[in-house]
Amino acid sequence: MAILEAIGVGKVYETRGVETVALDAVDLAVEEGEFAALAGPSGSGKTTLLNLLGALDAPSSGEVRLDGEKLADLSPAALSELRLRKLGFVFQAYNLIPVFSAAENIEFVMELQGVSAAERRKRAEALLAEVELEGLGEKRPLEMSGGQQQRVAVARALASRPRVILADEPTANLDSKTAIRLLELMAELNRNHGVTFLFSSHDPLVLERARRRIWLRDGGIDRIEEGAVA
Amino acid sequence: MRLEWRLAWRNVWRNPRRTGLTVAATSFAVFLVIAATALSVGMWDKIIDDSVGMASGHVTLTGPGYLEERTLEQFTYLDDALVARLSADPGVAGFAPRINAFGLLSEADATRGVMLLGVDPLREASVSTLPERVRSGRFLEAGREWEIVLGKRLAQVLGVGVGDAVLVYSVAYSLESAYEIFRVVGTLGLPDPTLERGLALISLDDAQRFFVYGDRVSEVAIRARDASEAGELARGLGAGLDAERVEAHPWQEVMPDLAQSVVLDQAGMYMMLAILVLVVAFGIFNTILMAVLERKREFGVVLALGLPPRSIFRVVYLESIFLAGVGLLVGLMLAIPAVLYLQANPIPLGDGEEIAAAFEMVGAEPVITAKLQASNPVFSSLMILVVALLAALYPALRASRGKPVDVLRSL
Repeated sequence: MAILEAIGVGKVYETRGVETVALDAVDLAVEEGEFAALAGPSGSGKTTLLNLLGALDAPSSGEVRLDGEKLADLSPAALSELRLRKLGFVFQAYNLIPVFSAAENIEFVMELQGVSAAERRKRAEALLAEVELEGLGEKRPLEMSGGQQQRVAVARALASRPRVILADEPTANLDSKTAIRLLELMAELNRNHGVTFLFSSHDPLVLERARRRIWLRDGGIDRIEEGAVA
Repeated sequence: MRLEWRLAWRNVWRNPRRTGLTVAATSFAVFLVIAATALSVGMWDKIIDDSVGMASGHVTLTGPGYLEERTLEQFTYLDDALVARLSADPGVAGFAPRINAFGLLSEADATRGVMLLGVDPLREASVSTLPERVRSGRFLEAGREWEIVLGKRLAQVLGVGVGDAVLVYSVAYSLESAYEIFRVVGTLGLPDPTLERGLALISLDDAQRFFVYGDRVSEVAIRARDASEAGELARGLGAGLDAERVEAHPWQEVMPDLAQSVVLDQAGMYMMLAILVLVVAFGIFNTILMAVLERKREFGVVLALGLPPRSIFRVVYLESIFLAGVGLLVGLMLAIPAVLYLQANPIPLGDGEEIAAAFEMVGAEPVITAKLQASNPVFSSLMILVVALLAALYPALRASRGKPVDVLRSL
């Protein structure tokens, strides 16, 4: 069953009276447990599609469903709750909360979910160990390297035990060695926990590890490649 | 909620310099608002207290029409019933009957027109400071006849001193000529030189005999326990008295010029305080708005992670409450001891200074003092808090109404 669905989704941006079509009647289904990537050149619409699938924006036409639920029917508060319960995000610029330590950043979503303090601390330590950051929980984001921050971001995305993690250019600011280690980590989490990963990226390191690549061009799906890159 | 508190508290200290400046500005404003109000209240209380001490008390009972005419034709009585009534009133600290009339004083070739004030030597000290202002000789004493106390300058002009006799001439209530020899028993030093040149005190009994006035009096001067309650006291007393015989006037009616000065000065002060509060509002508005704008992306991230928009509103609001609250506490801690110190230790103004002379003109002791009323810090704190909350409204709404995609689109 598809965990994420875009049905005839279109998105038009209007700036000073000029309309720009970012997406045009896109149909896409992402199955549970997938490790897939939206690929394509800049301006092809991959980040826009990721935003729509992540309930961060509303489409101009068509509909988006998450776990069978139609997002257009939900209020902003219900969308917040849905993102909290079912989605995890990893951003290109890490976007950790700078006034919180690494552990507090990971605990943030758990606290929103109402998880007890002791349980939060236990799970945050386990997640830090899983992303190979044991002992760095008390460090603030600005005291960490880019790779370490992105690993904290992955741990934060996993903390809410989401069904899907949406990752927008997660390796863009990392050196290739760090990027490879991060992607291996995500692949392990996908295998071990069954978490669905959907990337938006044009980084070959990401694309060669994705088991399905959805190529976009000019706001529409150009082609879909299945299986590992040869 | 605990998460919101933590986020707000950490964000407040994200930029300690900016937070410090905002807190300092708020503290300074709180200090100024409390100190300016306390100074104004203290100074005017002192001026009013001293002025009414030289004049007709906080409340004056007179015959109908006395304030307009001020002649012997308008009179009232201090009978036993009124004495009992005033003695029983908890708002009355003291009262004294008086007779006011014009007279001529002469000694040898010198003659001066004066205000003759008939006072009860026993009661006068409970209302006015006149008995304390004796510079030579003594004040009037009960049971002694035809004694007179003169303003120091009046005595100099007439060329008389303690022990000398002066001829007092006037027109009695019966419209007959009234004249009598009085013996000078003392001189008074008064702050207003004009008054010192034109005031002569005789005993109430002598005045009633001299003016053939029976047991009539021009006025009954009343000292209130709380100067600020003068209006209320006058209304209360007036309501229980026979309006055909007696009217109760608060000092504002007896000394309208002084009352007007108080109103004008307070209007100016309130305008200054309003500007000050506006400055604080802009300070907090600016700090919070800047803090919100520079965290636009961060708000988008926490929204994306599932923090409800209302929580973001609360976080921003809590930040402004922290800023205003800390500023308020520091301001209160500085202002209250400073004001209390000034209240206990008034600063005398030097002799000959222009401002000191202005104080003396209205019969007030030339000192800088303050008075802390409980309502002052309470009202000032509430005002600053309300202003801070209003100033934070727009930034808080702006932060909470953002959409996550607005901040992620640029990625």
